[in-house]
Amino acid sequence: MKILIIEDETELALDIAKYLSSENYLCEIASTYQKATDKITGYQYDCILLDLMLPGGDGIRLLELLKRENKQDGVIIISAKNSLEDKIKGLQTGADDYLAKPFHHSELSARIHSVIRRKQFNNSNVIEQNEITIDLPGKTVSIKNKPVNLTKKEFDLLLFFIGNKNRVISKGALAEHLSGDIADMFDNHDFVYAHIKNLKKKLSEAGCGNYLKTIYGTGYKWES
Amino acid sequence: MSKLLNKPFKAFTIYALVILACSIPVYYFVVNSIWMEELDEHNLIIKQRIENKLGNIQLDEKELNETLLLWNTLQPGSRLTPISQPKERDSVYTFTRQNEYISDEVDRFRGLSSSIKVNGKFYHLAIETNVEEADETVVAIALVTLLFVVLLVAGFIFLNRKISKRIWQPFQNTLHKLKSFDLTEGKPIRFEQTDIEEFEELNQSLHKLIDKNISVYSQQKTFLENASHELQTPLAVLKSKTDLLLQNKHLTAEQSEILNAIELPLSRISRVNKNLLLLAKIDNSQFAETENLDVSTVLTQSTELLADYIQDKNQNLSHEVKQPLTLACNKLLLEILLNNLLINAIRHTPKNSTIIIQLKDNMLQIQNTGTEALNKEKLFKRFAVSSSETASSGLGLSIVKEICHRYQWQINYTFENYLHSFSVIF
Repeated sequence: MKILIIEDETELALDIAKYLSSENYLCEIASTYQKATDKITGYQYDCILLDLMLPGGDGIRLLELLKRENKQDGVIIISAKNSLEDKIKGLQTGADDYLAKPFHHSELSARIHSVIRRKQFNNSNVIEQNEITIDLPGKTVSIKNKPVNLTKKEFDLLLFFIGNKNRVISKGALAEHLSGDIADMFDNHDFVYAHIKNLKKKLSEAGCGNYLKTIYGTGYKWES
Repeated sequence: MSKLLNKPFKAFTIYALVILACSIPVYYFVVNSIWMEELDEHNLIIKQRIENKLGNIQLDEKELNETLLLWNTLQPGSRLTPISQPKERDSVYTFTRQNEYISDEVDRFRGLSSSIKVNGKFYHLAIETNVEEADETVVAIALVTLLFVVLLVAGFIFLNRKISKRIWQPFQNTLHKLKSFDLTEGKPIRFEQTDIEEFEELNQSLHKLIDKNISVYSQQKTFLENASHELQTPLAVLKSKTDLLLQNKHLTAEQSEILNAIELPLSRISRVNKNLLLLAKIDNSQFAETENLDVSTVLTQSTELLADYIQDKNQNLSHEVKQPLTLACNKLLLEILLNNLLINAIRHTPKNSTIIIQLKDNMLQIQNTGTEALNKEKLFKRFAVSSSETASSGLGLSIVKEICHRYQWQINYTFENYLHSFSVIF
């Protein structure tokens, strides 16, 4: 799977590429508007990460370019501006998602995962992971064809872990994923532990292997 | 406090009163002197007439004596009595006498004591003319003076009002404009031109002062927004680096702990920065789009979003909507307002206690238990409350206040019966 990272902050772009590379993603980086235009017109990507403030031009115009060329690449805007107008404008011009900086790599990775699945599988979007089957549009989970009843938050967590396989995710990143900006306002994220405990329990009761590991002192990891 | 024009007015009035009061004895003295002089003259004329007429009519001794007897009985104002020697000199005098016919009336008289010669004999002539009594004169003068005092003061008041309204008009205009001035709106004031030098000077100085303030304020706003923006990228890189480091397979327990310890302050910086940026944006009148929102719906969304944190502290949330309320405002701002108030309550309420949310009569009230009242002055100021121990950004309530200010809602804090109570009147 090919990802294009359009980001002028090289350090950040390299980090994203490094984080994503373990997931069989092939990452390319474009640091200016011109370079981005060349790459977009020349190649096809599964997902494009787009910073709106670029040297040489406005990122929104790249979205318009994609639309004109009738390209089907998934686009996630990553912006430091975090303004509602930009978000609405971006989504209206054809972006699939919007993520405000600073973000956790795990959040970005989960969103990329989700965008690619939506683009490629549309309505028959079913993830098969080990013995788990996740029906995305129906929001249901089954193990060995037996349905497992998960709460919305447990379902979100499961998807998040599967979008970040084999990587350590901090409790803070999980809290932020579950409650968005509000997570910022609290130092105590113990509720994450409660949700994970429930998720683990439900999965193992349904006969699922123990893939979700607690990494002492740092967070959690889905190993498979 | 008294009005500026009332100060000289008071002094003028007192001065006028004193002068007019002093004038009463002076008037009396002058009027009395004129009276006396005129009456002396009058008495003298009568004397001359009597002397002349008595000299002209030829009467013998007997007739004269009979006439004088009759005269002295009937003629009230003068009396003739025979004397052996003429008076060396005429004399005048004033005296009072009980009225013979009205018991409680005392009359004052001016008298002339003189001597005339009739038929070669000397007679003593006393002429007495009634004069106005001294006390009556004084009362009359005082009454007239009082009338003038009343007229004078009434005139002063009338003129004072009229003048103050007219000449203070430019000042009132300026004052009115200053009162409605709001620095955060950034609109300079245009003062009306006036032909009074002092006011024009005042307006010019105010104009300069306000322009400078607006410029400094807007520079500060821009600086804040730029600074926050500039911080976003290095923060993003820092966060990204810690995420990557977390993936390191050879991380020791000690290193993990350090990494964890870095994450907390890092998320705090990014929270402070986000909130500063938000404040700058609200200050800069962004978030202009409005829609009609049902407050209780947004409130329910907020409580659902925060349910995990409420549950975490085993807090009991009582949520009561007595009256539905629809507001026309920006959705994001209303969400932030409600979230910040709720987060504040959750964060500062001990475990196992209750948070009470009430919506009624255009008012939202959020109460939580506490031990002592908070400093009301500092509560809504940026970074004013020490927050070293909590996850507070020190800006949550400032943002609440800023949003309330934007929509002219009223935010209040009270502490009663061990309950912190924040209320917003929409």
